[in-house]
Amino acid sequence: MATKYLNDRQLSGLKKLGDIILPGDSELPAFSKTGFELHVDRICKYMNQDDLEGIELLLSIFSWLPSLAIRILLKIAQKPRGEGSLAALFRQLDIGLKGIIFTLYYSNLETANEKAKNIHSVIGWDSQIASYPEEDEMFEKTDQFRLQGQMGDSSEAVMSRAVLSQPAVRELTVKRRLHYIKNLRRYILRNREKITDLIQKEAQKTKTDILVSEIFGVLDHLAFLEKFSERILKDEKVHTPVALLGKKSRIYYEPLGTVLIISPWNYPFYQAIVPITSAFVTGNTVVYKPSEITPLEGLLEEIFTACGFEKEWVQVCYGDGKVGAELIDLRPEKIFFTGSVATGKKIMTQAAKQLIPVELELGGKDPAIVFEDASLERAVRGCLWGALTNSGQSCTSVEQVFIQESIFLEFKKMLLKEVKKIRQSNCDNGAVEIGHMTSPMQIKIVADHLEDALAKGANLLHGDSWDRKSAAIPPLVLDNITEEMKIYRDETFGPIIPLISFISEREVVDRCNRSQFGLSASVWSKDLKRCDRVARSLITGNVSINNVMLTEGNPALPFGGVKNSGIGRYKGAAGLHGFCNQKSILIDGHSEKCEVNWYPYTQKKYSGFDKMMEALFSPGILNFIKFALIGMKLESYSDKAAKKKKVPTP
Amino acid sequence: MANIKQSKVYDAVVIGSGVSGSFLALELVKSGMEVLLLEAGEFFSRSNFPQKEIDANSKLYWGGGIEFNTDANIALLRPKVVGGGSIVNQALLDRFDDDALSSWKSQSGVSFFESGKLDKYYAAAEAELNIETIPEKYRNENGKIFAEGFKANGYQYAPLTRAQKNCRFEEGNDCIECLSGCRADSKQSMLITTLKAALGKGLHIKSLFEVGKIENNGEEVKIHGLYLKKYRETFKARKLILAAGAIGNTKLLLSSGFKKKLPALGRNFFTHPQFMVLALFNREISAHKGPFQSLKSADPNFRKKGFKLENVFGPPVAISMLLQGFGSEHMRFMKRLSQMACIEVAIRDTNPGIISLDKKGKVRIDKKLNDEDRKRKAAGVEAIQNIFSSQGAEEVFEGRLPIGLHLMGGLGIGENSETSVVNPEFQIHCQRNIFVADSSIFPNAPGINPSLTIMALSIKAAQEILRG
Repeated sequence: MATKYLNDRQLSGLKKLGDIILPGDSELPAFSKTGFELHVDRICKYMNQDDLEGIELLLSIFSWLPSLAIRILLKIAQKPRGEGSLAALFRQLDIGLKGIIFTLYYSNLETANEKAKNIHSVIGWDSQIASYPEEDEMFEKTDQFRLQGQMGDSSEAVMSRAVLSQPAVRELTVKRRLHYIKNLRRYILRNREKITDLIQKEAQKTKTDILVSEIFGVLDHLAFLEKFSERILKDEKVHTPVALLGKKSRIYYEPLGTVLIISPWNYPFYQAIVPITSAFVTGNTVVYKPSEITPLEGLLEEIFTACGFEKEWVQVCYGDGKVGAELIDLRPEKIFFTGSVATGKKIMTQAAKQLIPVELELGGKDPAIVFEDASLERAVRGCLWGALTNSGQSCTSVEQVFIQESIFLEFKKMLLKEVKKIRQSNCDNGAVEIGHMTSPMQIKIVADHLEDALAKGANLLHGDSWDRKSAAIPPLVLDNITEEMKIYRDETFGPIIPLISFISEREVVDRCNRSQFGLSASVWSKDLKRCDRVARSLITGNVSINNVMLTEGNPALPFGGVKNSGIGRYKGAAGLHGFCNQKSILIDGHSEKCEVNWYPYTQKKYSGFDKMMEALFSPGILNFIKFALIGMKLESYSDKAAKKKKVPTP
Repeated sequence: MANIKQSKVYDAVVIGSGVSGSFLALELVKSGMEVLLLEAGEFFSRSNFPQKEIDANSKLYWGGGIEFNTDANIALLRPKVVGGGSIVNQALLDRFDDDALSSWKSQSGVSFFESGKLDKYYAAAEAELNIETIPEKYRNENGKIFAEGFKANGYQYAPLTRAQKNCRFEEGNDCIECLSGCRADSKQSMLITTLKAALGKGLHIKSLFEVGKIENNGEEVKIHGLYLKKYRETFKARKLILAAGAIGNTKLLLSSGFKKKLPALGRNFFTHPQFMVLALFNREISAHKGPFQSLKSADPNFRKKGFKLENVFGPPVAISMLLQGFGSEHMRFMKRLSQMACIEVAIRDTNPGIISLDKKGKVRIDKKLNDEDRKRKAAGVEAIQNIFSSQGAEEVFEGRLPIGLHLMGGLGIGENSETSVVNPEFQIHCQRNIFVADSSIFPNAPGINPSLTIMALSIKAAQEILRG
């Protein structure tokens, strides 16, 4: 029986050593008979790594070393001469080995062996604390520590608190939960300036980006919840077929339990509040892990506490991927992840081992498709904003601009004129268009994509002043783009505007659909029929027509991607249902009757059932009447057959 | 305590929650400072102190229970728990005598090491705790042998002075369990005294956080460490207080690259090595019953010779580790556990050790006993022999290994920045926002239990900090 730290061989070495040191006699058990295996990890866990490795090696050796040799080694080790390093090693060996054996033997550990239970009484040890005060004034404090400080941030403690408190949230009606959502909306509105400042400090983006995308987006979402979630989550009646006459069918939207939400750094506030509140409104408790790059430390706790949430309902766990992995191992009922494809794959792999459902909101390489009949100025300004908002650090940023050949030059000229007007800062008062990059890692990726594109022949039309290192990346406008370039294939997540020309509608749709991603797209044309045609043929989760990044702007529309862009939908009714156990209910009124399809099966029933089925699925009113008659007959027969004491044997 | 934040700049961060750290933290929060106390060990209280020796050794000490000097001939016990040494020690409190103070003064040049000058700090420390002498009527057989043996040999002894309250000996309590935390809340550990008071005044404590490195720009200190052995976290403070003991403080400053600025860092390390001497009697002693420690030597002659004696005992695993040999011989001995008496000799060691880091960044402790130290020990053992023989011991034998549990020095206090690390204002030389007042600043071994003096110095240091 291997333990966490020692394998079978090492345990057998320990056993052999133990029986040499403590062979047992008429009163005391031999070491090997004490059930020490159950307790050995209590020592190993706290040993220094080096010491543990030394002991493991030694015990492995002991497992095949003859007892006599171990005995001799112990003799030498207990009285080494001198102060040299060999003598020191022997002394440590002696203390280390005997320490483990004696500790396991004399600690009066829980065991089934009667002799081993008596070790203390045989050696005359009966120390006791016979009397002590009832109260433990410090316990509450240590317990508080366990909850908040020392164990409090440990993943186990957080998850168990979330699980234990979930029934309380489940008990709240949706209306009651919305009371907290309303508090939240008011609080955020009142404190928006403070929140904006904090986000700007960590995320380096412009005030307007924060106000428009994060604060407004969150408030809009909360207002949506307040208005629609009762309706979305109320018990739903669904059709019951005629074969199940007299019964009712319902769907109950119930909570899943505890949901783990892992969010990225690009919209640290929006990506926290929107999924957290969606999960909460549906009755789940939430464990939330922000990105270590933009933790907004303490902000969410402060907000949720101020809005009356119990602290167990929404808990924040700070840290990097390790923390996320730990939390997943503690088996939340669902994982909601927003972030990169690579991390998404890791999370799904880990979740798969425990069959935890995942929802993944991953990256994109979203195209803007501009047809020759588009309103040029609007398309230029739309693409500019779509590519540069949040410095391009949005999963639905425009990362490719496909322009129909006939207007390519004109579009390029106008875009370059506009791009020169863009102002950049990370501590503005609202009058600046783009901020700085949030994550140093992302700066490297942008630089890499840029260099790769230039090396493969792209022209950099704007942004050459960038030193490839600074977080203040200017808008990077490029043309002469080919499909081999990273900037064409992979998600850049920076302020880039690659200009690509196309000839036909068919061509551009095919090119877009070859992408590994499928998150969103924008289509620009006066011809709304064409726009609709293109929108339908694009393999993506979202399409904005004559606008950009706007499906996210409506909290009633579900959001999500296909292919490498993710799995599942959030926001809107689908989003709320995603955090639910959609429970199917079939209700039959109280009745004494037995069902036709229940036992016993008889030949008469078989042929009756066969005829009834034929009538049911054949057209015409006569068939329907036939079905009804056979059904009634069959029902009364079945009930009698079931209640008859003796069933005819075939 | 819920809102411990990495983004905040604390008025003060204290590293180590033992005697010094908790006294300093209390003084600082009393004055309204926002203080964060960082502790590598776990937070236990009366209800959940580890009761089995297996868990007590591993959960309350560094290194899983025991550490060694490089020769592995001194076992070092270094507590790692909220409350530090006060959770696992015997709460024996003694003021220093003139001898100890004057030897400190002559070595360090610090003027307040003088009879009388520390009295008000001693008094302030004593006021935080309930101090009792252990009454004669609860003295166990081991204590009686000690007393009678002293009388028979004309040695002087005195009752131990201990921070305790309502030990309920009359109800059959055996205090030996206090060595892994007092389940009766009788021992006046820092947990139920200074830390409790400080928590009431808003002290933040983060346990299970091991500090690895500090960075100081003179205005603000960054404290980097690992939480729960995995998570990197950094805290910031305007003032830093080191209270992680001789080894902890030295290791931290060495790891943070302070050796160049502080040439004396890691020097003058002392341990008051304690040698346990056991005696077998042909009658029941049960040295573990009641107050297992009750008496100390008070013989001017012993003091002059550089050692002191106390009656003492240990729980089964500890005693088994002191015995020589193994196999049936060992088991025969252990069966006579209740017939053993025990006295320890603690020497005032004179040969300074050195704490350094090896190539891997692990602590290395070079500490040897010199001839003088061995002479002191021999004199102590001889006195114990005399005591035990006078009381009819069958056999007397020395424990296998001395134990060092008063870990002192490494950041010695003094005027001179070449030969000391901490100045008389308790600041690290040239680092005016880093303060130290624990046993690491001891210039040499005083030969007296250090706890009370650490408390007094910490209170004095708090005044310096608040003044600056």
